[in-house]
Amino acid sequence: MRNLSSARSLLRAVWTRRALHSTAYRHTALDNSHVASSSSTVNPDEIAHFSRLSSLWWDERGEFGMLHKMNPVRTQFVQEKLVEMKYEDGHESFDEQRVLEGLNVLDVGCGGGLLSESLTRLGANTLGIDASLSNIAIASLHASSDPALSFSSNSLPHSNDTAISHKGKGKVTYEHTSVEELLARNGPNSFDVVCSMEVLEHVDNPRGFLHSCAALVKPGGHLFLSTIARTPLAYLLTIFTAEKLLRFVEPGTHTYSKYINPSELISFFHHYRAPSPSNTSTKSSTESTSQPWISRLVAGRPLRVEAETRGMIYVPWNGEWVLGPHNEPLTEACNYLFWVRKPLQ
Amino acid sequence: MLPLLRSTKALKPQRCLAVSPKRFSHSISDHCDIVIVGGGPAGLALATALGSCRNIQASLRVVLVEASDLSKVKQWSLPEGYSNRVSSITNASRGFLQDIGAWPMVEVSRTGPVEEIQVWDGVSDARITFSASEMLPAQSTVELSRLTENLNLQRALLHRLSSLGAVELVDRVKVQSIIQENTEGSTWPLVHLSDGRVIRTRLLVGADGPNSPVRTYAGIKSYGWAYDTHAIVGTLYHAPRGPYSSPNTTAYQRFLPTGPIAFLPLSETASSLVWSTKPPLAAALKAVDPSVLAAMINAAFRLPEVSMRYLHSRIVEAQERGSPITLDELREEIAFRERSHAIDSHSAYSSLVVQQDTSGIPPEGADGLPPLVTSIQPGTIASFPLRFSHAESYIGEGAGARTVLVGDAAHTTHPLAGQGLNMGLADVRALADCISQAVSRGLDLGSYTALLPYSRNRYLENHKMLAAVDKLHKLYSTTAEPVVWARSVGLEVINELDTIKTALMMSAGSRTQTNAGQLSWGLAAKGVESVARSIGSARSFGEGIAGMASAGLQQLARQITNPRQ
Ligand SMILES: Cc1cc2nc3c(=O)[nH]c(=O)nc-3n(C[C@H](O)[C@H](O)[C@H](O)COP(=O)(O)OP(=O)(O)OC[C@H]3O[C@@H](n4cnc5c(N)ncnc54)[C@H](O)[C@@H]3O)c2cc1C
Repeated sequence: MRNLSSARSLLRAVWTRRALHSTAYRHTALDNSHVASSSSTVNPDEIAHFSRLSSLWWDERGEFGMLHKMNPVRTQFVQEKLVEMKYEDGHESFDEQRVLEGLNVLDVGCGGGLLSESLTRLGANTLGIDASLSNIAIASLHASSDPALSFSSNSLPHSNDTAISHKGKGKVTYEHTSVEELLARNGPNSFDVVCSMEVLEHVDNPRGFLHSCAALVKPGGHLFLSTIARTPLAYLLTIFTAEKLLRFVEPGTHTYSKYINPSELISFFHHYRAPSPSNTSTKSSTESTSQPWISRLVAGRPLRVEAETRGMIYVPWNGEWVLGPHNEPLTEACNYLFWVRKPLQ
Repeated sequence: MLPLLRSTKALKPQRCLAVSPKRFSHSISDHCDIVIVGGGPAGLALATALGSCRNIQASLRVVLVEASDLSKVKQWSLPEGYSNRVSSITNASRGFLQDIGAWPMVEVSRTGPVEEIQVWDGVSDARITFSASEMLPAQSTVELSRLTENLNLQRALLHRLSSLGAVELVDRVKVQSIIQENTEGSTWPLVHLSDGRVIRTRLLVGADGPNSPVRTYAGIKSYGWAYDTHAIVGTLYHAPRGPYSSPNTTAYQRFLPTGPIAFLPLSETASSLVWSTKPPLAAALKAVDPSVLAAMINAAFRLPEVSMRYLHSRIVEAQERGSPITLDELREEIAFRERSHAIDSHSAYSSLVVQQDTSGIPPEGADGLPPLVTSIQPGTIASFPLRFSHAESYIGEGAGARTVLVGDAAHTTHPLAGQGLNMGLADVRALADCISQAVSRGLDLGSYTALLPYSRNRYLENHKMLAAVDKLHKLYSTTAEPVVWARSVGLEVINELDTIKTALMMSAGSRTQTNAGQLSWGLAAKGVESVARSIGSARSFGEGIAGMASAGLQQLARQITNPRQ
């Protein structure tokens, strides 16, 4: 069970860092040398604390129940879009079930690791990042109990001595960092797929955030987002009903003014030109930035091979989320998914 | 009872965190994705369904644990006689078994097709007949179901499993205890086996029968009660049907106030008995000489109810006195009863002349009765207590997380509708689909979210079926005059209505077409109206009961006809 022990050393790192920089951790990446030196100072209460938090986060009938129910739909959207584009790229016979196998995926704002785990089970090599240290601890602890995820904390080199029998191929890693820091450290064009689900409505500078996410996508790669539209319906459902009336989610979770409409995302990528990042050295960096991700709009909608939005609809009598039909803007008036592809050149 | 702890001191959260990984590996010998406890029909069918599903085969490790010796089942020698555990496999169940590649491995020559079912009320004699040839469109099957020995089915499943090679079978090993891992927030069950192994599993499936240890571990309560009824089973022999009779493909069931007696055809000369009756009577019937039991069975399908009541009391009394009734005494009683009811000894309703010559034209009414039993296969008489039970949930949560129940572990029912195993197979199909779906979305298949579609698919369906069967059992176990009267009205009215007949027929899951459910429900709904109209003038009390009777049957029809595809 080296997984558990690596989760533990991650927690050790987490804990020591917090003790050392109690407030300043938010935007600093973990540094490995520090981890190694501090691994003996560990507080069992801290582990117990994170175990409790983890059980709360992973309680599918608890506070995060809606998120758990939403997860299969988000995964479905990712899978279906990747399959569709693979056919579009001229691949004819491939196993649709294995479309994520071997892809490098970044999950920005991974929370307790729901989406990261699913994508990893489907064969992706996933890096989940989150600005909340406790989310990273929760996600790490949870993944460490599942041998199919080949979990490795970033603080330990990933070794392949896992004597655990599982047939999965992907592996998951979590890191406490921000997308900006990751971009600064890894440089652009580093992931086949970048996902950021239910995050955009919480960030302060959505344009900057989108820029960083977009830069991390490899040419020809995919960016998936999900968020909430700024409509009266969305206010009614997500703030009035979910927070105030039924208390499905903690009041104050959402801020109406931060909601973003599908048309705004589309418009962003219609005008978006990736700024030439300082470290894309050699080849003509100006050229690579010339093409917008969405080349043209037809009646305000992008071409389905460049970008797409789909509604996510909660069906209360089934207690489940379903994916809205294609090209049905009315279904995108509340929770919706967005996909856009980075042009090849 | 097994020592089923939900957490353990031995595995409490680690105090010392700088442990070496080996501390874990010495207690856990194995990790797997799915452990199925129970190698009965439900457990084996689930293993086969999972093993024949491509995306599961490729990505999951599945282990089945069974306490008994499965090699005996696999090498079952297909003896000349029949096993006494026989189930009626509906067309829907057969379609599923076909899909998972198991039906082709069933020894079909040992199965008996049911082309017609005759059900009648022992008190009023009102009768319903459902026959496949009369009712179903020409291109569809002529069978309503197929009587199959449980062993024949289990053997086929085992052969299919070994050809698939995807599931590991661990037999002659008991699950001794189950403990939740409970370290650092993990909810994975640790399954302790009698051979000393400990398997850590993502999902634990309870296919472990009515006393399910998995259900106990999961802390799932089961709701129900014992029917004050035992079922006697046995293999019956009889002369073949003559050239002027229809072949032995009709199942007969007579509802006596003590419980229904059913005659289920296996071959031209053999049939299976399921006689549900009061426990003291069951005990007495089991204790008498098999020839006496055979005579009682023949009488039970033929004599008027008052006389059966008398014979029952005679048998129980004799048993209590310690001098069981002899065949001669019984025949004398029956002869007297037949004379007083003016039953001619050549009539179909006489059970005295057992060695009938079947080559001639049978007496009037013979098609409405099963053939006369001549002997009972030695060693096949057994009895089982009957229970109504339904687990309060099929999915474990919290301290019992990562568990799911199928088959008799989830529900038990009265055998009068022959649905127990069929419900279990429908569970298995739904669970296998649900797991496959979860795998294709990368879900953790032990999670509540992943398992919920299974429960949503089956829970209410099963509950409706259990309730309908329960209602029928209660309705037919009374002799109260108005109820009997209403019962006869209910049944006879139904008999006139082809619409309802069709619905009832497809009921027993007899159709495999996907739209059968909707079609038949439409028909049945029309039938409800007609029943309501035709009993419009009935006395109000009786009307209520008749409504109940037909509603009960219709509900049953609706269950079975509406299989979730
Ligand atoms: C008289 C009678 C007539 C019936 N007629 C019909 C019919 O006509 N049609 C129909 O559909 N159904 C019928 N049924 C119902 C049918 O027989 C059952 O529904 C069916 O056998 C249930 O199968 P199962 O696999 O769920 O459970 P079981 O057959 O009970 O299998 C459970 C298995 O789990 C194993 N097990 C339990 N505990 C452990 C442990 N701790 N470790 C390892 N293994 C364990 C047991 O050894 C057993 O093999 C009838 C039932 C009765 C009593």
